[in-house]
Amino acid sequence: MKSKIFSLGDRRRYERVVGQLRQDLYRYALWLSRDPQVAEDVVQESLLRAWRGFDGLQDETKARQWLVTIVRREFFRFKERQREETVDPGILAEIADEVADPLVEELRVAIFALEDAYREPLALQVLMGHTTDEIAGIMGLTQGAVLTRLHRAREKLKQAFLEDGTLDPVEI
Amino acid sequence: MKTKLTAEERARREAIVSDEARFEALLEAAFKIDPPKARRAPPRWPAIFAVAATLVLAAGAWLGLRTDAPSYNVSPLSPDIIAHIHHEPNALVVTASTVPDAELAGVLQRGRASLAGPVGQVSYAKLCPFRGQMVAHFVVQGERGPVTVMLLPDEHVAEATPIDEGGFKGTVVPIEGGGSVAIVGQPDENLEEIRNRLLNAVSWKL
Repeated sequence: MKSKIFSLGDRRRYERVVGQLRQDLYRYALWLSRDPQVAEDVVQESLLRAWRGFDGLQDETKARQWLVTIVRREFFRFKERQREETVDPGILAEIADEVADPLVEELRVAIFALEDAYREPLALQVLMGHTTDEIAGIMGLTQGAVLTRLHRAREKLKQAFLEDGTLDPVEI
Repeated sequence: MKTKLTAEERARREAIVSDEARFEALLEAAFKIDPPKARRAPPRWPAIFAVAATLVLAAGAWLGLRTDAPSYNVSPLSPDIIAHIHHEPNALVVTASTVPDAELAGVLQRGRASLAGPVGQVSYAKLCPFRGQMVAHFVVQGERGPVTVMLLPDEHVAEATPIDEGGFKGTVVPIEGGGSVAIVGQPDENLEEIRNRLLNAVSWKL
């Protein structure tokens, strides 16, 4: 494999475009994996891939969607390599503990417990700001399916929020 | 365990849920988890040195293309290893701190490796994705600065091959029975001793 030669201008452009999205990419990876360590690893590898393929990004307005797609692919590569999916129960407490507002904390726990099929489109919409059309493209779904999942995800969260303040414990 | 909400609390929550903007604000706050503190650690080099390192990398790569040296003289893993090092600048810190043994053992175990003896002062250890596999990556404090070590159970090399790229020098050495170890440090670092310690200590837990 040969190294590509990137100019200082490329490097600056990469840092400008990717740097501002890095935190959100970590958050997205975290909500995909529910594991801070995995999220860090996935983002790190994704940014490496993004750097290698950066000259392919012609339209910077598409950077967010491009990077999300890279992170998503990298996460599924990682998941394939993991024979068993394990979620550390301590992580849930750690994540929930970080906020001062108890309602945010409760909601965070409820999101953590959502099924992947609901959690991911919600993260793409609320966290990453993607339109339903973009989410459909990223996840390989129809726009109708995305709308349904987003609606159900919110309904589940609202229900958990109203019923008793907590969801059932996460299936681990 | 589920907790029964008081009537007052339930009413408060109903008000939030029925107010779409309020619920969405809460949802957005819930999604915004801060990255771990470790990620915010200041890099070893100020930005000016990072830029300088980039220039050195670019110059090195340019000169590398102009050299007549045969390609087999440099490890084919070199670009990936150097890129990986560049993406973890906070690992390259001259420090007196040491990674606790249990933490290092955990990283090694997850990287399918173990160390049968001491390799020096390990100041950083992390399981990292590398060419599609999770590998143990740690840093040993050398005489001239941090020395990056990557244990690569799936990367088989026939013989030791040098790394000389991006202002770093090092080597990828085969491990008896398969796999290899990448050792990369400052150009004036004597890697021989660390290499020998590693060759005596590394084994795979496959």
